[in-house]
Amino acid sequence: MIDITLAESVVKILFVIVIITAAYIISTRNLLSLVSVYALQSLMLVLIAIVLYMLHNTWVLLAIAAITFASKVIIIPYFIATIQEKVRIRRDIEFHFLSPTTSLLISMGLMLVIYMVLSKILGGVPDENRFFFFGAVLGISLMLMGMMVTFSRKRAITKVLGYLSMENGVLLFGLFITELPFIIEFLIIIDLVIVVLLTTILTIGLDSTLEDYHKRLHRFHLWEEEETP
Amino acid sequence: MILIAFIACTVAALLLIAISYTPARMNLACTGQAILFTIITVFLLLFQTVPVSSFLIGNQFFFIDHLGIFEILITGIIFTLAAVYARGYVAGLLESGELEKGSLKLFYGAWALLLLIIVLAFCSDNLALFWIFAELTTITSAILIATLSARENIDAAIKYIFVASVAMLFSFVGLIFLFQTSRTVMGDGTLNWTALIANAASFPPGMMVAASALIFIGFAAKSGIFPFHTWLPEAHAKAPSAVSAILSGVLLNVGIYGILRMAAIAHQNPAFASITPIIGLFGVLTIAIAAFSMLPQKNLKKLIAFSSVENMGILLVGIAVATPLVIFWVLFHIMAHSLSKASLFFSAGILHRQYRSHLSTDAVDEIRDVFRLQPLAAWGIILGGLAIIGMPPFPIFFSKLFILLGLGSVSPLVLAVVLVLLFVAAVAFGYFVISAFTRVSPDGVSMDTDRYPTPLSMKVPIVILLCLILILGIVFTSGEISFFNQIVKELRF
Repeated sequence: MIDITLAESVVKILFVIVIITAAYIISTRNLLSLVSVYALQSLMLVLIAIVLYMLHNTWVLLAIAAITFASKVIIIPYFIATIQEKVRIRRDIEFHFLSPTTSLLISMGLMLVIYMVLSKILGGVPDENRFFFFGAVLGISLMLMGMMVTFSRKRAITKVLGYLSMENGVLLFGLFITELPFIIEFLIIIDLVIVVLLTTILTIGLDSTLEDYHKRLHRFHLWEEEETP
Repeated sequence: MILIAFIACTVAALLLIAISYTPARMNLACTGQAILFTIITVFLLLFQTVPVSSFLIGNQFFFIDHLGIFEILITGIIFTLAAVYARGYVAGLLESGELEKGSLKLFYGAWALLLLIIVLAFCSDNLALFWIFAELTTITSAILIATLSARENIDAAIKYIFVASVAMLFSFVGLIFLFQTSRTVMGDGTLNWTALIANAASFPPGMMVAASALIFIGFAAKSGIFPFHTWLPEAHAKAPSAVSAILSGVLLNVGIYGILRMAAIAHQNPAFASITPIIGLFGVLTIAIAAFSMLPQKNLKKLIAFSSVENMGILLVGIAVATPLVIFWVLFHIMAHSLSKASLFFSAGILHRQYRSHLSTDAVDEIRDVFRLQPLAAWGIILGGLAIIGMPPFPIFFSKLFILLGLGSVSPLVLAVVLVLLFVAAVAFGYFVISAFTRVSPDGVSMDTDRYPTPLSMKVPIVILLCLILILGIVFTSGEISFFNQIVKELRF
């Protein structure tokens, strides 16, 4: 058990870091650092879960923290980094509709809109639900920012990262509803891992021998525009 | 016991697929699995008191009510026929090299798994569990789409996964809202549909609207509602036809089922009055987009895919009207649409084999001499087309009529708009059929095209489905009526 004001301020700091990572994911072109920033973002969620655990003392939160740490901080980033190395994509310079600056501005606007809409819907929430409110605002903003990444980038791997950061938004939101049954959180992570595996494997074709990679990649135009560093 | 039976069938089928070497045997495993599923469902329907409660069923995670049995029955029938159809179809794909032999196990494995997941989704009482199964259906069906070794198939599958999964995440946020609402009202948070519908009347309207809207986004994407319909024509047109039939006949139902359950909860709440115009608007927009996309369509499978979008729009309009009578006919429409659409895709599959373009699946179908080359498929398309645009002896006529009558009593203006749109869609279908099927090459030139030897296993499902549709349209037993009434009553409309 820790002091509630301390917990609150720690969570607030973590919130800010999460927002910064989300902004980075939206604007960066370097794929390798994108993955590590995603891992960092997931780590912040783990920390938030742990702080909340110390506050509420429900074991579900600790379990969620453990699973998130294993899957999102270690396994998924490692997997994507390995794939990237094999596929040799380092940068995703193509943005479909939005340039990084515009997407940053839009996401700031989105956050404000969500704040206003949610405070209208949830208007009159009792004080104990303040965390729920902030979690909702940040979670949904994170989701929309991830969605922007998913739909504004061209490469499937970047799209996957956008989807992952959306999922982080959902998790962030879910963390503040402490009674969500654990089995459900667990199944969602399983689902996430499958989505990641499938989409990355699909992007490099269904075969996975290394010689075939290159043939397939040529066929799928995945590495035509490779850049010299 | 029932869930265990379903799972055991699937495990057996998967094992058979894993140890068998010939495509025919893998196919047999899938056919057997689907037949067993259908038998189990019929057994449930005839000999069990519904809602069923036995081992593993009737707890906080799983239940089977009339709506569940209804959906599982449709699923079983279509999967059985599609598996029979796939026998000939996949052999053709292997012959032409469009499907590699190595991917066969993956294909049939995903097939068997998909059936199980869909059935489990329909058995889920817990909405979050339903959400997860619905999400898993996206993934498994994407594998089925992507197994054809073509770049555009992989593109279509990836598009499907991203659009559906991203939208489904919004649904999940909606579920969290619902959970939080139920916690503040009932004291103990729950996502059980049966508990939610019993208490929905006292939920705060603001939260109810937010939750319903978010949940609606995800399931709208699953069922191809505008503006999330973009994946649907691509995926349905590029998948192997046996899979297209499943995607259109069964998987779209998963999305509509989710919307129906959600609407049933919201209907208990005073907030429902402010949700229905939105649902109705999306329904009309969906019909409009589909109708006008059908008009210039030159590719048969895409045309049929857009017709699915149109029918989902009609269902949505029906759900928005939400009188017991209209919901009754919405359910009937779900069934009639699934069966008609499966038969259409089966027929289109034969034509696709006959006239396949080597350039791309997107290319214009070059259909000519169709009555000489593939008379059965041609009649299948004509009759199925008549069925899907709602001509009188076919069941969709009745469901459309009563849904539109219900709509007319709410807003005659919207009814007029929808009627015009439905007319446009029907014209599009008729125009395509007339222009494509009357194309005959001049004498002497035509003999260079070989006739695709359609295997019997591809013909039989079409005939069975057409007979089934006709019977459904002509015969309406009292048992059927009371069954549908029971569903409407359980949904509390």
